[in-house]
Amino acid sequence: MADLPTYVLEREFDAPRELVWKTWTDPDLLVRWYGPRVETIVHRLDLTPGGLWLGEMRWDGKSNYQRVEYTEVAPPERLVWLHSVSDGEWNVIANPMMPDWPRVLLTTVTFEEDGGKTRLRLTWVPHEASEAEIACFTAALAGMEKGWGAGMDLLAELLADLQA
Amino acid sequence: MEQIGYMNGPSHLDAVFAALADPTRRAILARLATGEASVNELAEPFAMSQPAVSKHLKVLEKAGLIERDIDRQRRPARLKAEPMAAAVHWLEEFKRFWSSSFDELDGLLDQLKTSDTKGAGNG
Repeated sequence: MADLPTYVLEREFDAPRELVWKTWTDPDLLVRWYGPRVETIVHRLDLTPGGLWLGEMRWDGKSNYQRVEYTEVAPPERLVWLHSVSDGEWNVIANPMMPDWPRVLLTTVTFEEDGGKTRLRLTWVPHEASEAEIACFTAALAGMEKGWGAGMDLLAELLADLQA
Repeated sequence: MEQIGYMNGPSHLDAVFAALADPTRRAILARLATGEASVNELAEPFAMSQPAVSKHLKVLEKAGLIERDIDRQRRPARLKAEPMAAAVHWLEEFKRFWSSSFDELDGLLDQLKTSDTKGAGNG
């Protein structure tokens, strides 16, 4: 577990923890922020360990589905789930654009109260992943850390380093 | 997450990393970054035999890092960087998705705070 690549995203929200928790767990509030500029539909949200959040995101006339299975629900401080891309019948599928992207990402969200503000930490770790999936995720993380990214030619960056 | 138009996913990232692990192959890539080159042209600065260079080129080609012209006689090699970039791109999309969502959440929380007359502990 310890040597699996982990992606971390942190953010501070200017609101008390109880309220932030509510926006993550109340489907009516969740659809108002999750998935910007797309139509977000929550088909099911059962906030218990083993419960499912079945979500649909629509844009450009097509639908993308995600299947979330909660594994830990500890209000208002910790939410853990298994995150996957799914088909319209909620079966877990490989990412259509990236076959080796981990099918299941263990997602952990912690909410930390800090003087009326909330520090949120989101981590992703490949879950029961194949070597190819772990390699794919590791490469992505390594690239992100070096600041390689969207619109940039990854290899050109690497080569610039080598030639420096 | 928007669609990303890469032809292949990084299904052989292992091959990519293996290819990049070798200093001679990195040097070959560095040379190709300045433009396409034939086996002859590549062999010269490395004081290597053509078969040795060809071997390295095969590894790089298999990893999808270079492509070689099959139609022309001297078969020049040239860089092809997409496979590695694809994985990074995808994670960036993932991050962008969440960051934009968080921006929305910021706005929602502001609304909820001002409309929440019961007072959820702000102030």
